[in-house]
Amino acid sequence: MPDNTTLGEKLAQQGISRRSFLKFCATMASLMAMPPTMAAEMAEKLAKVRRQSVIWLSFQECTGCTESITRSHSPTIESLMFNAISLDYHHTLQAAAGTAAEAAREQAMKENEGKYLVVVDGSIPMKDGGIYSTIAGVSNHDMLVETAKGAAAIISVGTCASYGGIPKANPNPTGAVPVSAIIKDKPIINVPGCPPIGPVMTGVIAHFLTLGTIPDLDEFGRPKVFFGDTIHDRCYRRPFYDQGKFAKSFDDEGARNGWCLFEVGCKGPTTHNACATVKWNGGVSFPIESGHGCLGCSEPDFWDKGSFYKPLSTGEWGGGAVLGAAVAAGAVIGVGAALAARKRQDKTSGGK
Amino acid sequence: MSELKGIPIATAEAPLATGNALPIVHEIETLLNELVVSGKAASIDLRSLPMLPGDYEQLQQWLGEGEVSATIEAFGPTRVRETAVSGVWWVTHYNAEDQVVAEFIEVTYVPEILKTHPADARQAVETLRSRLSQSAETTEGDANAG
Repeated sequence: MPDNTTLGEKLAQQGISRRSFLKFCATMASLMAMPPTMAAEMAEKLAKVRRQSVIWLSFQECTGCTESITRSHSPTIESLMFNAISLDYHHTLQAAAGTAAEAAREQAMKENEGKYLVVVDGSIPMKDGGIYSTIAGVSNHDMLVETAKGAAAIISVGTCASYGGIPKANPNPTGAVPVSAIIKDKPIINVPGCPPIGPVMTGVIAHFLTLGTIPDLDEFGRPKVFFGDTIHDRCYRRPFYDQGKFAKSFDDEGARNGWCLFEVGCKGPTTHNACATVKWNGGVSFPIESGHGCLGCSEPDFWDKGSFYKPLSTGEWGGGAVLGAAVAAGAVIGVGAALAARKRQDKTSGGK
Repeated sequence: MSELKGIPIATAEAPLATGNALPIVHEIETLLNELVVSGKAASIDLRSLPMLPGDYEQLQQWLGEGEVSATIEAFGPTRVRETAVSGVWWVTHYNAEDQVVAEFIEVTYVPEILKTHPADARQAVETLRSRLSQSAETTEGDANAG
């Protein structure tokens, strides 16, 4: 049943005040690096929005993206986004099951034709006619094509939907492909990460709802506002990298002093994501701050690029050209340290 | 294998500052002048700049404390403080767990979030009217019954 109340009316019904809403918009605008004066405009626009129909398709996924988006540092600020949208289909969150669930999806598609947002998590298997992942007897490929027909835009959340992710990792037994390999005629926003940061996902949806447009995307289809910088560019441990102070192994003196984790395998220099600024769990921390190097989980094919514990300069991540740009200043230190580190890693882990 | 208590604890020194406080004060001067000349309000998002604890301290020293302090309860508290510089307000948004979610310096005659929205006031007139008329009916009823 279409819901014609505006978001503003809905919030008023729930006793959520206009000021709460303005506060939410101010926080969102700050998160998305918009000028603060946009918050009031955003609040006005968002209040008048009729709840956006969103259909969430889950394919070959681990549900990590849903886990991430449903966690919020405040029980109310991100949940506001769930008031702004009408989540008409979502395997984990919906109450309906079986044929009733599929009927809800089809009804939402019909009533909101051309206007609904499709969110996809998980990759799509293509081998053997796509039988390796089916929903209600329909292959993921067929369901994606059918659902995408009337969509306004598609958001691929997670590295699986954006680039293939873990199912696509060698030897890719199911023939997994990303959404962009199948849908060619709709705007697609990739929001990668394994999983992506919760506020990053809600920020992208908020952008679409308030401004009605796709945010500026980089060459991998990722919103520049969140994926424009590398982790290395914004890492608080950068001064240690610049001074050549590296942890040589976990829990050594350097590690305990919070030194750079380049030698224990940090992929920060070649990874684009918002972890170093937005951070995780409501800004508590991120992997490097907790003492573990970046895995590079928002980059395509990160599972197949060699060890998470060997330094970047040992060559599996695209070689000289990529690294030259990222680590030019520290190259001399980096290469020397890396060779020593590789020898150390091979010794301790038997060359793996 | 050494015990947990065998690991030495090294404490860090006093918090650093990036030196961003003074440039912000200069920007405030420009914006405040604009407010006085053209009435245009503006905001500086403190989370958009690298700010260390020392920077916040310096900025607070520069701006001082004004006469007005307000707390808004909306999804957690929001503290609005007028600084000693008239027209410059410091707005800190907290979530329900008292964590800072956004922080702004607002250069304005009064911050937006303090004001009552016209639509809310319109709605309030209707509600108040109906409450008054209900109360009037009850009083008449009592008078007639008495």
